[in-house]
Amino acid sequence: MSSNSIKRASALLTSFALLGAVVSGCGNGGNSEASSPPASSSSASNPASTEAASPSASANPEKKIKLEVIETGNNLPPPDQDIIKKELDKALNVDFNLTVYASGDDYKNQLNVRMASGNFPDLFALDRQQLIEFSKQGLLLDLTPYMDRLKQVSTFIGEENVKKGAVGGKVYAISKSSQIPYNTYFIRKDWLDSLNLEVPKTIEDLKTVAAAFTNDDPDKNGKKDTFGLTGAELNGAFAPVFGAFGVGSPGSVYEKDGKLVNALYDPAMKDALAFIKDMIATGSVDPELLANTAMQHQEKAFKGQAGIIWIDWPNMTKENMIEQIKAVNPKAEWIQIEPPAGPAGKFDGSWEIGNTPGRYAIPKALEKDPEKLQRVFDLLNYVSDPKTGSLLVQFGVEGMHFTKDGDKIVMTDKAGEVGYSWLYQFTGRPEMSYLQTKFVPQAEFIKFAGDQPRIQTLNGFVDLPEGYVASDADRYIKEELAKFAYGQRDLGEYDKFLKTLETTMKYKLFMDAAQEQLTALGYGNK
Amino acid sequence: MVKGLEDRLFNVFVYAVLVFCALLAIFPILYVVSVSITPFGEVLRNGGFILIPRDVTFSAYKTLLTQSNLPQAFKITVLITVVGTAVNLILTGLMAYPLSRKNLPGRRIFLLMIVFTLIFSGGLIPTYLIVKSVGLIDSIWAMILPNAIWSFNVLIMKSFFEGLPEELFESARIDGAKEFRILFQIVTPLSIPVIMTIGLFYLVGHWNEFFQAIFYVTDRTLFPLQVIVREILMQSQQTLENADNITPTQTLQMAAVMIASLPVLVVYPFIQKYFTKGMLLGSIKG
Repeated sequence: MSSNSIKRASALLTSFALLGAVVSGCGNGGNSEASSPPASSSSASNPASTEAASPSASANPEKKIKLEVIETGNNLPPPDQDIIKKELDKALNVDFNLTVYASGDDYKNQLNVRMASGNFPDLFALDRQQLIEFSKQGLLLDLTPYMDRLKQVSTFIGEENVKKGAVGGKVYAISKSSQIPYNTYFIRKDWLDSLNLEVPKTIEDLKTVAAAFTNDDPDKNGKKDTFGLTGAELNGAFAPVFGAFGVGSPGSVYEKDGKLVNALYDPAMKDALAFIKDMIATGSVDPELLANTAMQHQEKAFKGQAGIIWIDWPNMTKENMIEQIKAVNPKAEWIQIEPPAGPAGKFDGSWEIGNTPGRYAIPKALEKDPEKLQRVFDLLNYVSDPKTGSLLVQFGVEGMHFTKDGDKIVMTDKAGEVGYSWLYQFTGRPEMSYLQTKFVPQAEFIKFAGDQPRIQTLNGFVDLPEGYVASDADRYIKEELAKFAYGQRDLGEYDKFLKTLETTMKYKLFMDAAQEQLTALGYGNK
Repeated sequence: MVKGLEDRLFNVFVYAVLVFCALLAIFPILYVVSVSITPFGEVLRNGGFILIPRDVTFSAYKTLLTQSNLPQAFKITVLITVVGTAVNLILTGLMAYPLSRKNLPGRRIFLLMIVFTLIFSGGLIPTYLIVKSVGLIDSIWAMILPNAIWSFNVLIMKSFFEGLPEELFESARIDGAKEFRILFQIVTPLSIPVIMTIGLFYLVGHWNEFFQAIFYVTDRTLFPLQVIVREILMQSQQTLENADNITPTQTLQMAAVMIASLPVLVVYPFIQKYFTKGMLLGSIKG
């Protein structure tokens, strides 16, 4: 900042501060007239101000340090009922303040404002795009020189995930350990039985069964009020169909026969679209497929309107979901099925291996406060320690929420109290064992979903090039594919669609970037 | 006679339109109420749509009031609404009254400054910096003071005060009243309609407090109602990326909406009568 602009800024600030003083002065007057309790309650419930006054006073190295973390999430209890917070406070001698925002947009706004105004949280979640931007602006702490103080973290998340937090060879964020896929097709077994049908093995079977579910009155109520397949939009409902043709979800990049392929350029894409078009034309697919947002497809399945759905196991098999399914029709029986086979074998859709379920960064400003920085490292190491902290943020407090049976962890009936503990899993968790411990009745579904073959896509490794607007291109892809699938645009025009995408939507930029970056990582050179 | 028939037909038409509009307005509220007191299984069985509940349960309300952050948020919202509205009215009144007096020196400049803020604002980040530098971050005052005065409401109040007959002030002065006495004993009682109307604007504004809470508050115990309600509603709109997420049922969501909107619904009818006299900017009103 030049001295001139500093002058200007300070002049501005002074004038604003004056205004602020006037306003707050009047505010106090107004308050004393209204009632006095609010004033006292506001200062009592405002630990920030009291805390801010004291820290420099004592030089005690063991003093409590206030740590502030922000991320997206929900269902966090108030601090006085938050057992995980209390345990972390005790273990690390900190005053932990976690704030979660339910909406990703709200969170982004909050983070941007705080980054812009220099009021940094001590640890915060961010996406890949933000990671790149903020690190370029010099707002994030380069963790590379500190990695030896984060040993526990790097062992826990693995070398692979450490790399995912790097920008230009420097680690700026800690990436959570990987997740496993949850989605599969679920199908109404009782409907199959009532129509004497077999579980669909191939995509042709799938088409037949879906048609039968639509036309042959599987719920035997004498009304034609059912259809076959539903899901969240085109890609959601037909993921295994794309998979059966060996095609990844539209827009994804993956290795095929040792070469890098973009799903949209995969020759099999046209075949997949043709098949989907035929299937939609039979009228057996949810007519509102493209309008299904949020969990509307699930609702339709629960209501008994659809017999096949591509969905995650938690939304289908957790106790409260079963309850809802049974409330509508006690005989309803949903079973998980393997992806139907097609010309290229069977794949249950795509699975992104370049992504991480979350990443956390530390602001560069924390460099100047080594004591606090150390506590943040302590925190990250602690929640990555499989013997102590990791157990806490996975399952709660030993003896209260879980007990150990040898090496095996058994949840107690109080486990529900810490259902929010995942908000504290800043470095992730060993996904499969975690889920199977925590969701015992669902263990089979979890394993089944995890075991299905998937097309491994690599988009997460690709940093978007400048000048390419992903949201515009994605929208265009979605719209045009919908037109092809619904027969509003002839498949013969597919190449024309690609042309427009490349030029108008600058998809070429993305393709080149993907090729270059993935090759550099060693993909596609077999 | 012919005219009478025409009149009656016109009345029938007007009433029909009004009834239709009223139904349109009542319909969504009725839906929310019904779903909020019906067990979710029952809602699903009826295809997700219920207008007249057959099976009534208040379990959703009970869950929200005992097992969520709602009660705490409710307290915060009531607090900022009561304190905030009082602050708003006092400050707005004290600003509008002098501006309504024609003999105030520099009146034009003050007015111009106020109108200027109607059109231009500092933007989010400068505002945040101010709120931060005066130490309001993470306190309930962050949700009260930054919007303590809405310039538009000052203008409305000012024009109401200007409508008071000048003779009133003259006679008060002749009787020996000074400025403060005139303001509090003569102007204020006469201005109940505008105070109520503007007060309602402020009250609803505070009740719906959301953005300032999102930006300036990170302490969960200080979150107002709308933030928590939004959290409950948002949860159901996300597909599960995490097995630990719990999706609240529609019944629960609707109950949350009801808890958040009921108090304002109750207050509205009592203040509404002042609307006929209270709000005026230019032109002539009864």
